[in-house]
Amino acid sequence: MQLQINNKTHEVDADGDTPLLWVIRDNLGMTGTKYGCGLAQCGACSVLVDGEIVRSCVTPLDSVIGRSVTTIEAIETDPVGKAVVAAWVNHQVPQCGYCQSGQVMAATALLKQTPNPTEDDIAAAMVNLCRCGTYNFIKTAVNEVAGRKEASL
Amino acid sequence: MKKFLLTLIAIIVIAGGGLFWFVTHKPGSPFDGETASAAPADLVHRGEMVARQADCVACHSTPDSKPFSGGLEMGTPLGSIFATNISPDKQTGIGNYTLADFDRAVRHGVTPDGKRLYPAMPYPSYVKMTDDDIRALYAFMMNGVQPQNVPNKPSGIEWPMNMRWPLALWNAVFVPSGTYAAKPQQDEQWNRGAYLVQAAGHCGACHTPRSVTMNEKALDEGGTDFLAGALLDGWYAPSLRQDHNTGLARWSEDDIFAFLKNGRNKHAVVFGSMAEAYNNSTQFMTDDDLKAISHYLKSLPGDPARDGQPWAYVAATSATGNAGKPGAQTYAAKCGFCHGTDGRGKNEWIPPLAGAASSLISHSESQVNVTLNGSARVVTADIPDAYRMPSFREQLSDRQIADVISYVRSSWGNHGGPVTPEDVKALREHTDPASSNPIVLQMR
Ligand code: FES
Repeated sequence: MQLQINNKTHEVDADGDTPLLWVIRDNLGMTGTKYGCGLAQCGACSVLVDGEIVRSCVTPLDSVIGRSVTTIEAIETDPVGKAVVAAWVNHQVPQCGYCQSGQVMAATALLKQTPNPTEDDIAAAMVNLCRCGTYNFIKTAVNEVAGRKEASL
Repeated sequence: MKKFLLTLIAIIVIAGGGLFWFVTHKPGSPFDGETASAAPADLVHRGEMVARQADCVACHSTPDSKPFSGGLEMGTPLGSIFATNISPDKQTGIGNYTLADFDRAVRHGVTPDGKRLYPAMPYPSYVKMTDDDIRALYAFMMNGVQPQNVPNKPSGIEWPMNMRWPLALWNAVFVPSGTYAAKPQQDEQWNRGAYLVQAAGHCGACHTPRSVTMNEKALDEGGTDFLAGALLDGWYAPSLRQDHNTGLARWSEDDIFAFLKNGRNKHAVVFGSMAEAYNNSTQFMTDDDLKAISHYLKSLPGDPARDGQPWAYVAATSATGNAGKPGAQTYAAKCGFCHGTDGRGKNEWIPPLAGAASSLISHSESQVNVTLNGSARVVTADIPDAYRMPSFREQLSDRQIADVISYVRSSWGNHGGPVTPEDVKALREHTDPASSNPIVLQMR
């Protein structure tokens, strides 16, 4: 099966129902995308498919054939993604870091679709779980990319 | 006068005696008088296939018990009853049953001592099984199954409702007599499908609505209620007829075949009780038999009056979908990653909610139940599926579940109707989350 990931074509040998996450991590060795729950509940495995956020643990391989997948490894090749990563560094968002590649993907997808999200838009889109509780930093960083300054905490 | 009284008493005695005889007699079996003979291996093997078709393990085993040692608890309005040990143990199982005894129990619901079984045992369907299948099934149960010394649990039904003899009268009225009779005007495949659906497969036990007297309203294609959909144990078993919305009209024969063989197709994935029926029964049937079942089901006409306005997909009007409706946010955060923001699922791996029978039937039980409790792993040829529906009972309140299901049932052209928090609460109290372990009940 041929997959378009990070603007490269990869030939992978896997069944159509294999979760995209398994292929990204195990077949292709790109371990920046994390496995949290495997049940679409946490968002650690978030990647972009044609610019939209998906949870790769519940994305069957045959549903992304002919579509363009972006993982955290290549997020900075996207101008919005680059700005998001910069804001993440600027605000030192991560604590343990495990969920953060998923958080960056979710923020990038949101800001690509809605460059000036309201607080409600942010709350609705940023639903990935973070067990360190970095939610406030995440919100501040997203606001910064949207061009809004928040009083820092 | 005296003569009149004597006549009356005589009539009562004869009638009473007749009734006594009727409710305790053992029906005849074509195998009466046959002596036991060694069962050849191929007969045992054929019987194993019949046991899978009839899904005997579904009730007579539990995930924690040895095969066929009984124990499944079945709630009835009168109290719980427990499926019995049908392993060939001579003390606690059916080890002493002759073939004729076995036949009477399976096809007529009568034990060797003349006691009537509760029709939780689907003998009103099994009565249609052929002599050959009964003989094969007996050979398997006696020779292929290990004896298990496990005493039966007493039923929780109290006197006088625990008297079994009135069931003989119920049987006389509601149970058809005789094995399946092939319809000469139909082809062989149709007849094979009809036989499997009506007899061993006992599909109607869940999918056919019941009357107040608890009998299935129809036992074959002669009745329009046959397999027309019914609520049982917190799950709505949908119509298997050619109903556009709530039945199989949009499914091809190949789709039905794939559903029974692989547990999934582009319209749906097995869930609820059907996941168990798939794991333990349909996946083991031969391709020819599954094709016959699919062929037969496609011949059952639908009923537009019952089924309502035919569903057609309606795309969400704005880029943000149907945002703003209550439940939309919960859908986006909890459901949309798998079932799609467009409600269309992911190929045959994750089922669509748009146009699903459960989104279009007024009974919301299946959707509420699967949201609260998730669904069993779908296990095909010993391999558990990659995706499963998790339980949301700990994550979402009654109100959130009601809102999100109402959202699903009113999006993408769905018109199943809203759900209230009370509906969710009622099911929450009476149901348990599905196990996340893959469970296929073993027979040997
Ligand atoms: S690992 Fe995919 S959502 Fe948690």
